[in-house]
Amino acid sequence: MPSASWVAGSIQRTRWSFGTYRDDEVGRQHPLRVVVGDLASSPAVRRLALQGLSVASVRDMARETELDPIQLHGLTGGNPFYVSEVVAGAPERIPPTVRDAVLARAARLSPAARRTLEAAAVIGPTVEPALLARITDGATTEESLAMGLLQAKGRRYAFRHEVAREAILDATNPGERLVLHARLLGALETGPEDDRAPARLAHHADEAGDRDAVLRYAPQAARQAARAGAHREAAAQFARAVRFAGAMPDGERAGLLLEFAQEHALIARYDVAIGAFAEAVAIWGRLGDASHEALALTSLAKSYVSVGRNHEAEAASRRAMEVSEGLPDGPEKVEAIFTQAYLRMLDRDNVEAIELGRKAIEMGQGDPRASTSVVQAWNTVGGARILLGDDGGRADLETSLRLAHEIGSDRLAGSFYSIITSALGEVYRFADAAPYFEAGVRYATEHDLDSARLYIEAWHALALVHLGRWSEAGAVASAVLARHDNSTISRIMALLAVGRLRTRRGDPDAWAALDEALALSEPTGTLQRLGPVRAARAEAAWLDGDAARSGTEAAAVFELALRHAHPWHVGELAWWQLKAGRPVADTTAASEPWRLQLAGRWREAASAWHALDCPYEAARALLDGDAGAVEAAHGVFDRLGARPAAALAARRLRELGVRSIPRGRGPATRANPAGLTARGLEVLRLVAEGLPNHEIAGRLFLSPRTVDHHVSAVLAKLGVDRRGDVVAAAADLGIETQNGQSAGPD
Amino acid sequence: MPRYIVERSFPDGFELPYGSAGIEVCRGVVGVNEDLGVTWVHSYVRGDCRSTFCVYDAPNPEAIRRAAERNGLPVDRITRVTVLDPYFYTPSNVAEPAAPGRD
Repeated sequence: MPSASWVAGSIQRTRWSFGTYRDDEVGRQHPLRVVVGDLASSPAVRRLALQGLSVASVRDMARETELDPIQLHGLTGGNPFYVSEVVAGAPERIPPTVRDAVLARAARLSPAARRTLEAAAVIGPTVEPALLARITDGATTEESLAMGLLQAKGRRYAFRHEVAREAILDATNPGERLVLHARLLGALETGPEDDRAPARLAHHADEAGDRDAVLRYAPQAARQAARAGAHREAAAQFARAVRFAGAMPDGERAGLLLEFAQEHALIARYDVAIGAFAEAVAIWGRLGDASHEALALTSLAKSYVSVGRNHEAEAASRRAMEVSEGLPDGPEKVEAIFTQAYLRMLDRDNVEAIELGRKAIEMGQGDPRASTSVVQAWNTVGGARILLGDDGGRADLETSLRLAHEIGSDRLAGSFYSIITSALGEVYRFADAAPYFEAGVRYATEHDLDSARLYIEAWHALALVHLGRWSEAGAVASAVLARHDNSTISRIMALLAVGRLRTRRGDPDAWAALDEALALSEPTGTLQRLGPVRAARAEAAWLDGDAARSGTEAAAVFELALRHAHPWHVGELAWWQLKAGRPVADTTAASEPWRLQLAGRWREAASAWHALDCPYEAARALLDGDAGAVEAAHGVFDRLGARPAAALAARRLRELGVRSIPRGRGPATRANPAGLTARGLEVLRLVAEGLPNHEIAGRLFLSPRTVDHHVSAVLAKLGVDRRGDVVAAAADLGIETQNGQSAGPD
Repeated sequence: MPRYIVERSFPDGFELPYGSAGIEVCRGVVGVNEDLGVTWVHSYVRGDCRSTFCVYDAPNPEAIRRAAERNGLPVDRITRVTVLDPYFYTPSNVAEPAAPGRD
């Protein structure tokens, strides 16, 4: 160690030099403190204190890795050396360089201090001195504090960096570590109440290899986590218990497996859940425990549904009905009846679903043990009613949400959102579903309900396609498809959204999405999936110019749609067959817009689609109309970026003898000034042409009232009071209008 | 990663400023693309600068459209393509034929 005066002298002789040290790693007694102290009085010396890295800097450094910047910041305390080493060593958690740096420092400790440090590492990132004293003989922390491995934080010790703790822990002799965990477990169990958090006890029991203690604490910790909505943590704690459950009595083990499986189903780990449910079914079957067997069978059925194995779900549900038949009325029987109601709803046997659902509600009402089944039965009845076009279903669904909150079940609150969004979506009530998409995604995200969230998002993407908000639709669907641990049903609906989107934009890879959607839908055998997927394929074939194939695709599931009298699938599938020149026997079940369209009443059909906020469908209906209608359709397709349909409209216009067809500009070239909607812009242009509202209504196939609404919105957004000022205000914003006062930069 | 050709048209002509402004434009485009997992390989520009044919590597067409929107670029048509060159049927390829088309 050079003396301070020598250092100061050297500095004076050279122009400048830098010296660095880590102030958090130099103890109070360290000789460098003396040098630094002496230097402070020299006028030639400037002292710069450097802060640790901020979370933002850590994020910057970790950009290329999968590491979570906030976690990395906590792990390293912002120490630049550790951060850069961990980043360089990713995905390995603690790179060898860091381990070596930590262990080199720890190697200078006396044996007693080293043992203390190891015990501290076993306790955790923060260390209660009392606990440390109880699990080590003669704890000595002074050296570790001096060396900066530990620091005092209030009444506790803390490791300076989590990486340091983990490196010490890794390097501890495994036998010694086991003993320390066992001692710590004992100390915690007999210590103050505050220290007895089940998750902490379960962790040390696991590390100590103490089977009984794991089976005592891990399920407690899991249930606590589940109650707090932390389902990933709950699944992990149940998994810990299951690992130690080999020698448990059969009945208890089956109970544990049931809870383990339920939590895994909640976090979309259906493969694991199905295996565990099936094992529980087998155990209870062997024990002749009918009520538990029925319960596990119903859970199994629902997991099968989530992965699109509907036939197996049906078998499990029927078996649950059989097994529970001989039982007195009670929660298992209610659950078995509800599950069958649910499957009937999924099969779109809505009348039967409502009947069974109401039976379950009647039997289970007032029995607190049946409360979850009753909540779900309300959900099923409500969904089935909406699918039948009966708006009373919304009240049933709201009842299910209220009851779900009353019994504190976020899972069931999550399924309220799944059902209401998908049911309203399936009957093309996308605008009505809009608030539930947003609320549902928020709720599911806050409560770790991944399966519900992904399903709601997939439906949201599909809704956005039909609402003409294509850019958002693409983003939402891509996010769902990027998840590999997705449930099959979410993937099918997201593929459907992407398939329709690519088809309508004329983008490549539409068939890749639709082929995969079909492959995933076929094993389900349900109209719910096959209906829309076949319809989307018929649409794609038609836009490809392959009418024959379009007809074949539509015909493939038409019988199924007819059997369930599904208004929307019957309508669309009949339409494509008709376009292909195939005879269609029966279209009485078709919904209003399709019924009008099939009857050649294009103008009314377009209005009906407009009322549903489906601009593409409305424009498509206009293709069967006169030149004015086809021109309007062309404008809509052009604005949406629907290249193939716009080309069809242009061809149709030429056939109708229209000479000047406005050249397409594509949606991306047009900015949207003043925050106007696409429809708003359209209205604006017609106002600028001097058209009165009723003529605009005629031109756009809207009701006059809707046009009144659009016009006042446009005036408000442009900040003008009189229609006469619209042209000038539009020109200021660079919006082209027909009056020639157009447009600036685009 | 799939490769695509993106056709864009610029009715008023396409213009890339010279010097530092041009560098900035290209950097901005590349930055936005990167966020979306999209790579702009290069572009062919028509003689009159009224359209471009841009070669892109991207996870899917939606990502290309999102990148175009954020960059304020028009998209007329996206086509999925694969590379075919005069040396495609070299002896090693012939021994184990791989059809151009889907990858």
